[in-house]
Amino acid sequence: MAELADGADAAQVETVRVRVLGRSGELTEIMRGMREVPAAERPAIGNLVNQIKREVEARIEALSANLKQAALERSLGEKNLDVTLPGMRIARGRIHPITQILERMLAIFEDMGFEVAITQDVEDDFHNFEALNFPPHHPARDMQDTFFVDGGRLLRTHTSNGQIRVMEQRRPPLAVVCPGKCYRRDELSVRSLPMFTQIEGFMVDRHGRITMAHLKGVLSEFLRAFFGPDTKVRFRSSFFPFTEPSAEVDIHCLLCKGVGCPVCKKSGWLEILGAGMIHPNVLRAVGYEPGDYQGFAFGFGVERPALLLLGVDDMRVFIENDLRFLSQFPALSGGVR
Amino acid sequence: MKLPLSWLNEFVTVDADADEIARRLSCAGLVIETVGRLAPQFSGVVAASVLHVEKHPNADRLRLCDVDAGARGKFKIVCGAPNVAAGMRAPLALIGAKLGKEPPLAAATIRGIQSEGMLCSGRELGLSDDHSGIIALGADAKPGDDVAEYLHLNDTVLDVEITANRGDCLSIVGLAREVAALFDAKLRMPKPEHARKPKPGDAIQFDVKIEAPDLCPRYAALAMTGITVGPSPVWMRRRLELCGMQALNNVVDATNYVMLETGQPLHAFDWAKIAGGKIVVRRAGKSREFVTLDNVKRTLDSEDLMIADQEKELGIAGVMGGLNSEVGESTSAILLESAYFEPIGIARTARRTQIRSEASYRFERGIDREGQVNAILRVAELIRETAGGRDASAVSDLEPRKAQARKIVLDLGAMESLLGVSIPAATAKRRLIAIGAQVSAAGKNGFSVSPPPFRPDLNESADLIEEVARLSGLEDIPATLPPRVAALAPRHPEREFIRGSREVMLGCGLTEAATLAFTAPADNARYCGAGQKPKPVRVNNPLSAELSELRVSLMAGLIGSLRFNLNREAASVHLFEIGKTFAMDGDLPAEAIRIAAVSYGTYALSAIGEPGVKAGFFQMKGIVETYLDAIGAGGRTAFKPIEAADAPFLHPGRSAIVTIDGEAAGYVGELHPGEAMRLDLAETCAVFELDLKNLIAYGFAPRKTIEAPPKFPAIRRDLALVLDRNFPADMVVKTIRECGTGLLEHVDVFDVYEGKAVAGGKKSIALACRYRSKDRTLTDEEVNRVHAALVEEARTRLGAELRD
Repeated sequence: MAELADGADAAQVETVRVRVLGRSGELTEIMRGMREVPAAERPAIGNLVNQIKREVEARIEALSANLKQAALERSLGEKNLDVTLPGMRIARGRIHPITQILERMLAIFEDMGFEVAITQDVEDDFHNFEALNFPPHHPARDMQDTFFVDGGRLLRTHTSNGQIRVMEQRRPPLAVVCPGKCYRRDELSVRSLPMFTQIEGFMVDRHGRITMAHLKGVLSEFLRAFFGPDTKVRFRSSFFPFTEPSAEVDIHCLLCKGVGCPVCKKSGWLEILGAGMIHPNVLRAVGYEPGDYQGFAFGFGVERPALLLLGVDDMRVFIENDLRFLSQFPALSGGVR
Repeated sequence: MKLPLSWLNEFVTVDADADEIARRLSCAGLVIETVGRLAPQFSGVVAASVLHVEKHPNADRLRLCDVDAGARGKFKIVCGAPNVAAGMRAPLALIGAKLGKEPPLAAATIRGIQSEGMLCSGRELGLSDDHSGIIALGADAKPGDDVAEYLHLNDTVLDVEITANRGDCLSIVGLAREVAALFDAKLRMPKPEHARKPKPGDAIQFDVKIEAPDLCPRYAALAMTGITVGPSPVWMRRRLELCGMQALNNVVDATNYVMLETGQPLHAFDWAKIAGGKIVVRRAGKSREFVTLDNVKRTLDSEDLMIADQEKELGIAGVMGGLNSEVGESTSAILLESAYFEPIGIARTARRTQIRSEASYRFERGIDREGQVNAILRVAELIRETAGGRDASAVSDLEPRKAQARKIVLDLGAMESLLGVSIPAATAKRRLIAIGAQVSAAGKNGFSVSPPPFRPDLNESADLIEEVARLSGLEDIPATLPPRVAALAPRHPEREFIRGSREVMLGCGLTEAATLAFTAPADNARYCGAGQKPKPVRVNNPLSAELSELRVSLMAGLIGSLRFNLNREAASVHLFEIGKTFAMDGDLPAEAIRIAAVSYGTYALSAIGEPGVKAGFFQMKGIVETYLDAIGAGGRTAFKPIEAADAPFLHPGRSAIVTIDGEAAGYVGELHPGEAMRLDLAETCAVFELDLKNLIAYGFAPRKTIEAPPKFPAIRRDLALVLDRNFPADMVVKTIRECGTGLLEHVDVFDVYEGKAVAGGKKSIALACRYRSKDRTLTDEEVNRVHAALVEEARTRLGAELRD
């Protein structure tokens, strides 16, 4: 047992094990010689040998466990990593900031009970203009410089065509938002893109159910949900051919908080939305009787508020796909805040 | 429209500063873009009457003037201006006056004579570059008056954005009416003096004939004679300039001035150039050329409305006059025109000829239907005053077609149900009267309203409700939430699908890109998609040749973005886009939704010191497979070698057509080395593009039935077959599946070997077969038997050798 002291190494332990417990080990030999022992003494000697065997085995087991533990600890030290080195670098994707912002906006409208409809980009004159109460030659058409394409079609200048497309197919009650791309003949520059994102929304129900007060309520709620609960909202009268009364909706300038700065042209307000009660001529164009139904509609561009939100001053970042820009966004739909 | 507040103040007085006026107008729908505060660049300059002028005793070019500056006193001034004359009114800088950045004016002795001030030119006062003489002030400049005030130099000018429905606000009077309505103030509208009976010898006989009453329902004309054409008085020029118009001469300026004031465009013809004393308002009748007064030759359409005389056209009605009848220095008699032209005709002509004049701008938006006579009297009044003109006729006022009377019933209940708030009847009535409407009671709860003739935009009850709401800046209306929609809106399948697709791409490490739908014809031809020959949709009025078609594929845009990033330090680029593509379907453009990606450089660097993965065919195919699996379409997909001719931009041996249910849906592969060279790419670029139409139609959720996990263990057996190098692996798998019994659960390729151990032109393909029974645990012996039979069958069918 002295050889099985605490400091014994693995080789010493194994030597003892073989010498004592092995096939021709000392204890094995003793057991083998048992038949030469008188029968009366056999139980006593047998018990003794077994007891010794158990003790030696237990001792060896304890030592081996200690030795294994020690070896494990040694190996841990040898397999240390520099945990500050970078992890496995697989490509990391990002969602485009306009998508994130658009998704967040749509989610707010969905929470308010609006459904999403997707409509076409290539339109005819009727759905982009005439049904929206832009008669041919009307100066209001000048507000939007239009791209014309083959087949006598045009690229929609606003997502308001969605209003017509959906109302033509269905009857109120309707609460719909139509996101999508629109196109206007503006040069690609710091301030404008020839293709940009808009959300059109509308709510129509039987006469008297949906009022201008509801328009104010829904849009104020949306703007506060998107820009923050303290957002100040202002409605101004305006003109759009397809709504009456029409309104433009401003929020307090995000940069100067209403004091006045170059971004808000010193007014303290930023124009965000156009809106109004759907014009009777629009209802007529989709076959609704204006006395039967009424509702509101609104529309706004996504890129402009996105610039304000991100504090960036160049529209082109949204179509250049510069990874040094895109990689700054979280990889979550609707993560931009 | 520029609104100088000094001009506004002639018609309305309100107790509010410029900012408050701007705010109220903005909230009522007339947005003020800027508030410009103008200040003179001088002080201490007063109007003076020149009493007496004599030559300077010691200088030929100088004169001595006695001037009277009213309460400021009389002064002796030395003056070098050639135009100084007794009787004129001129600006006098008093001793101590500040002119621009100069030190205060001191008394100076000029050639021995002291000058007690200075008579000033335009340049000296910082008003213009004119230094040819001193400024002649109008006769209304009282000696001693402050010149800065007299010239309205202390003005504030609001820049008002006028929406297309508010033609009436393209005038000072129209804006004054708005301001009066917004501030509950009174509008002052001076009535112009009636035309005077011509003196004997002054009378001019003329005849007006309207041959197109559909386009010109009213035409007023007035002849004047005794005109001396010259510069307009300073105050008039100043106002024209403040409103963005150039001063020309006292006749043209007077017509422009009245147009700005009243919104009625006017035109003056040189009477001497009108043949036969006849004005005919008619269509051009046939296509012809005509030179407008800007000296540009225009081609007329037969439908264009013209003002003509007996022989020739004199002007394009409501758009621009002709060079042939322009008022010039020699003009002594004029014929004034004040007409109403229908907006639609003017809009058509203006758009077609690309002329956007101040006149056409106003006619297009609809002017006062009844303002013609007042405006012509007003301009006559001014010409008498500023050009010495005398009336040579009475006003000829032809109105072959009367305006239709408009009566609109405004129901206050309907107003409440549209706005969501009750506005008191008295308030509504007051606001409607303020905008010029005539209002009388109709029924118990409504009004009968006749809109004023200058508001063609008011035609139905909704228009009037807007007016009532507008004049409080919509502040009457509370913000309340509508009752929540009871039925939940259905989810939009396409949007859900796109959102899911985007998230799979994100998980695959790709970054979402957004590119323009416009592209160059060359790129459309180059990246037209494997095996497809779409006809691109052309843009008729593109921004540039490079953006003259709609994209048939997302690839050009993504490759453009790849190039953009490589030019800006990027070493690896992994982008995807989901967007619309366009192609002609017969005669009409059609839209498709696609997903595409581009991958370049290191895709997975792995950890430091371990081998990385670069963009390449299998990397991109893996992404496509991951995507199709994720959307539940994995089992319906196959990849087929591409035909070189089908996709010249792809590597013919390292690209595949992706089929879904046997139908081509897109491609995956590496860019052709030639294309990579053209794009100056140093490394392999892998791409894919899929049309999502069929996938969206199929739906997002997996359709196969879901099974419980197996209860009994599987047994694996491998085999390796030696085949021709080009034999496709998916055929091997397919054959083995066909040869297998019901116990064969799955077959997978796990290795492909080419090299010394197999013959040249051959490859060894190693497959793992998984056997399992649904109702018992299989024995080794049973599997060995089944597998041996399968190997033999497959080997025979494929003509392959077995490899140990």
